[in-house]
Amino acid sequence: MNGADEGILDQAARWHLASVHDDMDWDGFTLWLEASPLHRAAYSDIALADAAVEDHREALAPFVEAAPRRLTAKWPLWAGGALAASLAAVLIVPQLTAPSTQAFVTQGVSRTVALRDGSAIVLAPHSRLTIAGRRQDRLALDGGALFAIRHDPDRALSIAAGGLQIGDIGTRFEVQTNGPAVRVEVSEGRVELRGDALGQAVELPAGRRILFDPAHKLATIAPVSSRDVGEWREGRLTYDAAPLSLVAADLARYAAVSVTVPPPLAGRRFSGTLSIHNGDNAVRDLAQLMGLELLGHGGAYRLAERS
Amino acid sequence: MADKAFEAVNAGLAALLEAERGALLRFLAARCGDAAEAEDLLQELWLKIAARPSGPVANARGYLFRMANNLVLDRARGRRRAMRRDREWADQEEPAQASIELRSDPAPDAEAGLIEAQESAMVRQAVEALPPGARRALLLYRFEGRGQDEIAGIMGISRSGVEKHLALAMKHLRRALIDCGFLGAAASSEQERAGGAASNGNAKP
Repeated sequence: MNGADEGILDQAARWHLASVHDDMDWDGFTLWLEASPLHRAAYSDIALADAAVEDHREALAPFVEAAPRRLTAKWPLWAGGALAASLAAVLIVPQLTAPSTQAFVTQGVSRTVALRDGSAIVLAPHSRLTIAGRRQDRLALDGGALFAIRHDPDRALSIAAGGLQIGDIGTRFEVQTNGPAVRVEVSEGRVELRGDALGQAVELPAGRRILFDPAHKLATIAPVSSRDVGEWREGRLTYDAAPLSLVAADLARYAAVSVTVPPPLAGRRFSGTLSIHNGDNAVRDLAQLMGLELLGHGGAYRLAERS
Repeated sequence: MADKAFEAVNAGLAALLEAERGALLRFLAARCGDAAEAEDLLQELWLKIAARPSGPVANARGYLFRMANNLVLDRARGRRRAMRRDREWADQEEPAQASIELRSDPAPDAEAGLIEAQESAMVRQAVEALPPGARRALLLYRFEGRGQDEIAGIMGISRSGVEKHLALAMKHLRRALIDCGFLGAAASSEQERAGGAASNGNAKP
């Protein structure tokens, strides 16, 4: 592969660049891949090299500062320190679905989205956020995000997340969804939760978290330390009796490892803290702590009962 | 009500996935070079679509293929990460460890951090060495998250000019990663797999 043909690499890079567009010719791409194993290897390398840049976005920061910038993002106070170290730019990528709807999609790295009123949202890796409404007050989240919302008495912000609607009145909180399941952790202020599967609206004050998982008929409220809110940014995930299916979804999102949890195990509860700097180690730790067998290797695993 | 809309969209995607099953499987097999892994990935794709609300999508077929393509990339990234780490261990610990199942001591994390830092420095150097146009386009694309059309506007060049810059940047980065040994292992194993698949058609790992 080291002597790879420049022409093939060029084609591979072009396919890779085209793959983000709606008019990508996927059938043509399949035929190109099938034409030669060299094509596949070249494409795989190019995609991995590009992913490495995404993984190390922070390494590019000095270049950007050196260049004259049109726009300097103002960070809210809480966004300093660790956050500034792990994130770099405010991202605005409207993917037009409706004139007033903005969609933000992250791949391997988190990104910060700024609302016009100065509120900020840190979108976790592999997550999707849409913002609609002229006042930017109707949000929908699939994945994880940390919200720092400015208080505005005239605005009723609502976030659709999994099976819940979250109403906010000026606060700081984290939301994570996995299908209909939702976790909300509040570190400042309070939020209001509504949902078909919740009998009545629930108010969640600072220092509390809710784990809402309709598939396992679960809605538990427990204390949370503000240190644990948004802790994925520090490479850590803490659980208190969370279904394994949620833990697996988090590992895919934050540690880039795929863990399949077969249905009989999906509702098994995990309590503890996982270090996610190294995804493979995190999975091994999880299996060990749960007394389960770990099958697979290299980023793709499956949990099973010990035989 | 949002849920209902999501369900409808997901039902639509699931139906489309069934209809496009053959094309997706063929794509996955061509992309990863392994028929069995392609089946596995298609299953994973199906589970993802069934499990997560994803909102309305403009081009559903393209969306499915893009998801499939990302699944392959995610696995390759995991593999690359694991290989890098294994090699680091092999370099540092002479005898192969009998059991590396449980590493609760802080050493592996520190080690992983070191590898990350090395790779980060390498990416920086590679970007530094890029021709100015390619570097500017790459920074706009990957650091600022701008689209290719937007970059064309900012740089005052055509969209194909942007593609040329970005393609060049990616080729350079690939080269740099291989030269520093951050990609070589993954690439050569891809080759073996590719060779295997080519010689007996339907190779199993």
